[in-house]
Amino acid sequence: MIEVKNLTFSYGKDKQALHGLDFTVEDGEIFGFLGPNGSGKSTTQKILTGILRGHGGKVSLFGQDISAAHGQELFQKIGVLFEFPYLYANLSAVDNLNYFASFYPREQRRNVGELLDALEFKPDFLKKPVSSYSKGMRQRVSMARALVSNPRLLFLDEPTSGLDPSGAVLFRTIIEQERKKGTTVFVTTHNMVDADLLCDRVAFISNGNLVALDTPKRLKEKNSNHRVVIDYLYQGQRETKTIEAPELEAGIPFAHDEIISIHSKEPTLEDMFIQYTGRGLS
Amino acid sequence: MGKDFCVLFKKDCRMLVSGKFFLMAVGFLALYTVYVNLGYIRFMQMPPYNVYLYDPAGTQTEKSSLVQVVPSMEAMDAALFSDANGVGLDASAGDVRVVLYKGAEHVDCHRADYALSLLRPFTGSAPEIIGTNTPEQKARKEITCELLFFELAAVGFLGIAAVLFKEKGMGVICVHAILPLRKELFLLSKLAVFLLSDLAFAVPLTLLNVGVTDGAAILPAVLLQTTILSLIMALVGLLCALLLKDFRQFTLAYLMIAIFAATPVFLSANTSIKFDWIGYHPFYHVYMGLKNAYFGTDISPAYYAGAVGIIVLLFLMVRLAFQREIGKEG
Repeated sequence: MIEVKNLTFSYGKDKQALHGLDFTVEDGEIFGFLGPNGSGKSTTQKILTGILRGHGGKVSLFGQDISAAHGQELFQKIGVLFEFPYLYANLSAVDNLNYFASFYPREQRRNVGELLDALEFKPDFLKKPVSSYSKGMRQRVSMARALVSNPRLLFLDEPTSGLDPSGAVLFRTIIEQERKKGTTVFVTTHNMVDADLLCDRVAFISNGNLVALDTPKRLKEKNSNHRVVIDYLYQGQRETKTIEAPELEAGIPFAHDEIISIHSKEPTLEDMFIQYTGRGLS
Repeated sequence: MGKDFCVLFKKDCRMLVSGKFFLMAVGFLALYTVYVNLGYIRFMQMPPYNVYLYDPAGTQTEKSSLVQVVPSMEAMDAALFSDANGVGLDASAGDVRVVLYKGAEHVDCHRADYALSLLRPFTGSAPEIIGTNTPEQKARKEITCELLFFELAAVGFLGIAAVLFKEKGMGVICVHAILPLRKELFLLSKLAVFLLSDLAFAVPLTLLNVGVTDGAAILPAVLLQTTILSLIMALVGLLCALLLKDFRQFTLAYLMIAIFAATPVFLSANTSIKFDWIGYHPFYHVYMGLKNAYFGTDISPAYYAGAVGIIVLLFLMVRLAFQREIGKEG
């Protein structure tokens, strides 16, 4: 679906933002693109969505070189959720969605009402102007805007930003449903929970370089120290012990009366990112 | 493409309606019309100076009805004291003596000659009038032309920039960057909305203030000049809105344009002040184009060629700035 070879981009003479990225995103995959601010992820997304021109290297979408692709044909197939909910504040959710949907072929469009319903949008606000919405409601309308054209390739920038925990769960469910339909999803996020739960593979970008690319599970496993932490009671005392995971194969290797909990010491994605880049995801 | 344009056009109209732009235009139209018909024209028909005559012997028998007779010199002094531009005529000693309360080097002779002419209104040869406009028609056309120029150059210019700044503020420009539509349509629909609204404004303004018969005769030429000025100002407004960071910076740029671009044009076109360099000022030619349209004077084809060239150049610059803006956001 997406093929990027030796992608470079420079904003000026001495402002090289991307230093030769290489990655592919398969059809129907949810691909996470993670990096701190200023690392080049927005630049990459802008190039992939055809907003930014003048890159070096090769970028193909739907098997076609993006430089040669006809803009309108490409834009018909993609949906983009921006980091901020960009909507007409004076128009209602329905008017916004009808407006943006009207640029796509009729047979491609989804039903606005059903879409908002699926996103659990409050019906009372359907006809009210966007200026009266909370951030979470705006994010829901923005997501509906990205989905209204039934895109084959979906770019999501911080999809769960501004949502409460139940809203974030709902969005992850919707993204999963999209993938099940065959939509390819390219997620740019700082949210490690989203990346871990949603993405089939994640790429870490730092200073315009791709520093790691793998499934979240493998990335964590590769760097795991394979230890477990055991909380237990022994002779009325609560104690904690860290042991090598293989030691567990033969049972708990120390005296105890009751096991309270066993936790693996597997690193988080954020730990991995810091390990690979030396920088936090701020 | 046509369908996309209609969608954008409809949205831009809604933006203007919600921004009360049309309501404001109607308000301005009413205000201008009231000012021209109830203020300006009446003011222009007023005599230039009040003339007060003290003639105890009644020697001035042919005097005009515009002359106000006062019963005493004290009454004349009091009248001139309160009306400093008035002219006093003292005929108490046989010969008429001119009395001015306040002198002004350039107009004293004019004031004196005018006042004396009112004592012999039917003598002397009448000047030959060239042209078909009556003084009232001339005044109506001049003021309507100035008001239309002001409306297009200031209000329309501000209006289009305000709409674009609003869209920039809401971030929706970058959403259009990923929509399957030709990006030029985004700009063209705005230009079309403002052009149509300017044309719709120019028609009643001209008919109500110049007069229906006279106005209808010059309307095609006026609308052509309105189109040129409207497109130029809308494109300059779009360019400023795309290049400048916020509306505060834009207001500053607007003041610069108003002071340095519009003021010398008005002065050169409507007063005896002439600047040698005014021929190089593009607004002067556009203003004169509009004025010539109101007075039915021929306009050079070179002017039209220049106007089309400037509009095309501005549009290309706006398109470039728009592409840059799209890449910047999101």
